[in-house]
Amino acid sequence: MGVLLLCGTRKGLFLIRGDDARGKWDLEGPLLTGWSVFHAVQDPRHGDLHVAANNWVYGGTSHRSSDLGETWERSEGLLLPEDSELKLEEVWHVEPGHESEPDTLWLGATPGILFRSDDRGESWEPVRGLLEHPTRDRWQPGAGGMCCHSVQIDPADPKKMFIAISAAGTFRTEDGGETWVPRNKDVAADFMPDPFPELGQCVHKLLLHPARQDRLWQQNHCGVYRSDDRGDNWERLEGNGLPSGFGFPLAIHPRDPDVAYVIPEEGAENRVTSDGRLGVYRTADGGASWELASNGLPEPAWGAVMREGFASDRNDPAGVYFGTQSGSVFASSSEGDSWTEVARQLPPVLSVEVGEWS
Amino acid sequence: MVVVRIPSLLAVQAGGQGTFEVEAETVGGALRQLPVSDLLIDEHGELRRLVNVYVDGEDTRGLEGLETPLAGVSELRVIAAVAGG
Repeated sequence: MGVLLLCGTRKGLFLIRGDDARGKWDLEGPLLTGWSVFHAVQDPRHGDLHVAANNWVYGGTSHRSSDLGETWERSEGLLLPEDSELKLEEVWHVEPGHESEPDTLWLGATPGILFRSDDRGESWEPVRGLLEHPTRDRWQPGAGGMCCHSVQIDPADPKKMFIAISAAGTFRTEDGGETWVPRNKDVAADFMPDPFPELGQCVHKLLLHPARQDRLWQQNHCGVYRSDDRGDNWERLEGNGLPSGFGFPLAIHPRDPDVAYVIPEEGAENRVTSDGRLGVYRTADGGASWELASNGLPEPAWGAVMREGFASDRNDPAGVYFGTQSGSVFASSSEGDSWTEVARQLPPVLSVEVGEWS
Repeated sequence: MVVVRIPSLLAVQAGGQGTFEVEAETVGGALRQLPVSDLLIDEHGELRRLVNVYVDGEDTRGLEGLETPLAGVSELRVIAAVAGG
């Protein structure tokens, strides 16, 4: 099995196939031309590709391929209920469901919407518990709209999930999505009158560690955070090697829950790479300290990385991958020790995920 | 019967078909018969903002929108607004 990188771009989807040694890479694409691919993922349960794609004229859509991108089926009728006052704006993130629910997928969207599919992405229903959430009138859109961009499922229990919405914060469900509770204690919202509100935080990316299911990481508009109690409490993790707490992408190690990666930006008002370098920062101690892991990355460079643009594989040593707004894709087969550019001159990269091919 | 022509991006989503012949009394009635109707009309029954529809060369937004009658119309053309980047 070789590594398959799914690179969503502003102008279609690209697939990058690595050989077994992750040393040689072949580029295919663009696929789904005419669509901005906000996120694409391979379902590990049956190999389907699922894509959250948008078009500025025709709106948000989801597409599925069962033959690694040769043919595609679009889900027709991806709309909100007529009785809702809301309109579906864009789709942002597609997440395969729990392995015990092999036909279930989740799709995050704007404005603060989560869809569920129980037929492998053919049709979608909005999750009412979120659509009609009693705090919705306190949510507000970030620069990318009020996007539901992170969906994380507890590997030990399909009813336990986390989502993050910018700017509504992190929410947890323990009943499969019927009810959602905000989980944002001690997470800053410096742009609000109360800098530590119950909700309204601008989470940029949220990840649950698959091997330690109490542990969550988040890259926020206002810092990098870790929770070791399923979001009940959060600890801010900066001032210890990170040049900035602002950034969008986040990646974690597939096995070691203490290892995480971020790519900071200067700040909210100057959204370019920190210090004019494409700098990956890695922690190996749960965020207590961070080190620059940029061997092989260009400098100077200002092309930052979008929130979905960072991913890791499950190999040993783990591979780590990211794509930039300037159209490059970088790979490390050494857990970030060194990096190689595996594609360049693509359209702006919006997302990177790892699958497999044979 | 009216001939409906759609842009190439939509034709891909319609299985490669870019031209349809439909029987309908109004523009909305014709568009709702297309396999890509959800890409043209939103959940509140409104034409998406950047979708333009012409009946025999005339913009339906200057007529009665989706309620524009098709009596005497031979061609209905869907065109994406010049937008985006």
